[in-house]
Amino acid sequence: MKQNGSPSKNGTALTLTLDGERVTFSRGETLYEVAERHGREIPTLCYDPRLEPFGGCRLCVVELEGARNPVASCTMEAQPGMRVRTRTAALEVQRRILMEMVASENRDTDVDPMHGYASQEMAELLDRYDARTGRFEGALSGTSRPDDDNPFIKRDYENCISCYRCVRVCAEQEGDYAISVMNRGFHTQITTEFGGSLKDSACTFCGQCIQTCPTGALGDLKALANKDVPGETETTRTICPYCGVGCSVDIMTRGEKIVGILPGMDGPANEGSLCVKGQFAFDFVGHPDRLSTPFVRDEASGELRPASWDEALDFAAGKLRKVVKDYGRRAVYGIASGRAPHEAAYMMQRFIRAGLGTNHIDNCSRA
Amino acid sequence: MPDPTNAELVARWKDEPAPLLPLLHDFHERDGHLSEEALRAVSKGLRIPIADLFGTVTFYHHFSRDAGGLDRPRVCNGPVCTMRGTEVLIASLRAAGHDPHVMPCPGRCDQPVPVIHGGTVLTGRTASTLVSGPSPLPPPAPAGVEECVFAGIRNPGRATLAGYRSEGGYEGLIRAVTAMSPGEVIDLIDASGLAGRGGAGFPTGRKWRAVADAPGGPKTIVCNADEGEPGCFKDRVLMDHDPHGTIEGMALAAYATGAVRGFIYLRYEYPETFDILEGAIAEAEAAGLLGDGILGTDFAFDLMVRRGAGAYICGEETSLLNSLEGTHPFPRNRPPFPVTHGYENLPTVVNNVETLASAPPIVVHGADWYRALGLGDHAGTKVISLSGDIARPGNYEVPIGLPLRDLLHVLAGGPLPGRTIQAVTMAGLSGGFLAGADLDVTLDEPSIRSKGSFLGAGGIMVFDDSRDMIRVTRESMEFFAEESCGKCFPCRIGTQRLVERLEGDGPRSVDAWVDEVTDLNEVMKKTSACGLGQAAPLLTESLIRYFPDRVRRHVEKG
Repeated sequence: MKQNGSPSKNGTALTLTLDGERVTFSRGETLYEVAERHGREIPTLCYDPRLEPFGGCRLCVVELEGARNPVASCTMEAQPGMRVRTRTAALEVQRRILMEMVASENRDTDVDPMHGYASQEMAELLDRYDARTGRFEGALSGTSRPDDDNPFIKRDYENCISCYRCVRVCAEQEGDYAISVMNRGFHTQITTEFGGSLKDSACTFCGQCIQTCPTGALGDLKALANKDVPGETETTRTICPYCGVGCSVDIMTRGEKIVGILPGMDGPANEGSLCVKGQFAFDFVGHPDRLSTPFVRDEASGELRPASWDEALDFAAGKLRKVVKDYGRRAVYGIASGRAPHEAAYMMQRFIRAGLGTNHIDNCSRA
Repeated sequence: MPDPTNAELVARWKDEPAPLLPLLHDFHERDGHLSEEALRAVSKGLRIPIADLFGTVTFYHHFSRDAGGLDRPRVCNGPVCTMRGTEVLIASLRAAGHDPHVMPCPGRCDQPVPVIHGGTVLTGRTASTLVSGPSPLPPPAPAGVEECVFAGIRNPGRATLAGYRSEGGYEGLIRAVTAMSPGEVIDLIDASGLAGRGGAGFPTGRKWRAVADAPGGPKTIVCNADEGEPGCFKDRVLMDHDPHGTIEGMALAAYATGAVRGFIYLRYEYPETFDILEGAIAEAEAAGLLGDGILGTDFAFDLMVRRGAGAYICGEETSLLNSLEGTHPFPRNRPPFPVTHGYENLPTVVNNVETLASAPPIVVHGADWYRALGLGDHAGTKVISLSGDIARPGNYEVPIGLPLRDLLHVLAGGPLPGRTIQAVTMAGLSGGFLAGADLDVTLDEPSIRSKGSFLGAGGIMVFDDSRDMIRVTRESMEFFAEESCGKCFPCRIGTQRLVERLEGDGPRSVDAWVDEVTDLNEVMKKTSACGLGQAAPLLTESLIRYFPDRVRRHVEKG
């Protein structure tokens, strides 16, 4: 991460003029980053702070003294002495026209927020710029892929604005390179290799493309299946229980029901990344087939039958004692589940070491 | 000889510089299209993700993904050719059993209508009269006009090394390498006032000095021979009839900057030029003028030709560099500029053919000689590709500062009999139109820019009073919409919306129509990421300026 406002090599602070105000910046910061740090709220659609600046949407253009045209602040590195204006009347008109143009190429300008984390970005900017005017009406861009029968990712490209955040997050964050841009100009289209389905591509269904999409052209099908569940959506920050990485997630609930998972964009371990399990595999929580009592295997019939916790624990303790007695304490090996919390892992090692007298312990997250 | 296998093709290129395009061309030519199997072999061989490779291949017009695609005739639908019978030729090809489709301007506006069939360019008006032939030479220079790049081009044998050397060719390189320091070469080019002739007009000496001074290497010289601007066909004639002029210019740039490798990025549509350049480079290498130990010194410079595959935007220098590197040919964000972050992110000169071809005569004759070729305060010459409704279309090397009307009426013989000139384009299509009293410009940037246009690469198309300017504008805008890369919003959406409004869609009242089109024009000019999106609206802007009545009739007629 860049340190804000750090001095230059020779110790003097780097400064530029932002809307008439002299501000400091650190080497390598872009004009967009400097302006945001000073509360400017510059509009963007192709920007995701985790990705390399792209310079596609042009909403973030600012006026730079000496430059013939406005410059994209997201790609322009700050230089000492620059004089930058971020919110002139002319810029605001250009931004409004750009938003009217963007609105004109999509089938829908408003989508259910259950589509994904960033799905309201375009709609919010249309409101901010009062750009739902219907001007520049014309052909819609993008061809939706209802034929893609994967259970996780809705590919509704008639709402795509070709910001390529999905393509870039797939390459830069996930390293999958499963999707790319085909054709040119108004006919650009997000595609997999040879235009096939995601299942036949290098996609790992991590869902990051959905969460960075600013229009809902990509949607979370698992969450969208719950869009009509009654109640207000509450989100609860927690840590994904699946493995030992410790990804931050925001669990969306309505009443007692989990309706979807959002990645924690500020999660220190994941910065918005999740995997297919953390993103999509939450059905089990309320699933009718989920076990709700312990089971023990009946010695005579070999069948599993429901049991009380006391009975099940006594059964397990008896079997462990028997193994130690018959084969010695080193015949026992304890593995803590990566899904177990820290305290449970601690208890496991105390139990194996002090209780059974062996150091044979491990954790599945190490594998 | 049996066709090479996939493995043989991959092995031939995978350790060469800039391998993707030549490898794809080898597969394309072997199979007649790019099959899934071929792309998977390339993906594996060059370690390019398959989805990226697939997307990138679809970016180029001339890579066919369908069996038999290479063999389908492709017919120019540029503005000059549609006036000269694109539709008739397509119908004629169909009747002759072909399955033709259209392509954007392949740079034969002086010989309409061109067709690319397999690897050959043919020209003519009907299927049975199509012929292939060399690029037309420039018309003779008028008495008293001294040329720079065209000075020797009409001499027989000029394209051979022997012919070129017999007229003083490579003397500039010899002088530079044996008697001048690299810094002195740069000083000389700087003093000559030579500026980029591909359209941007950046001072060549300053560019070379920036690369010479830039840390890091190896450094690279790229010759931008992706002459994709409709109405421009000057670089083709330079390379076809005087290839050593460009090669010598590149060697001079390499010596001046310390570059050790060079690429000529040649547009796909010039297949004959590819063979000519490859032959000339082989001759120069054999004569010790390229390669290691040039002229017995320790100066080394390897020169390679890479063919594009049909994409106008690849004439934009950063898009060209991405294409050369085998990535998706979107333009890069600037800064940083290619002089520090060019090919493989290393210092790189990207110069147009005409710019490079100007360097050897400047080294031989001196900076003052070159400066004096221009009129008034203007330094040097500019090649203008003139086409359309004009008596003598062709390439003219004119002194910078020449009145446009002198070119049109004196050098090129004026309009066709009984006609008057209604409008001309500037910078191919990128400068939009000049018409009426604004035809009284001189051919230099300050004069033309004062009219809201620019000279650019020097293509001028003439439209006489028989032409419908709405139709001309629409066909021109269709080109930009077709060629918009799709990276930035104002260009991707704006070119499409302008085409629709020129087709008769959009608001039904003139005021609302003009209001929408003007907003599109302004936002494209101000916020587009590269020259394509910034220039395309000059067409609609100048249409509204010069032909308001025609616009009114277009909108009201519906």
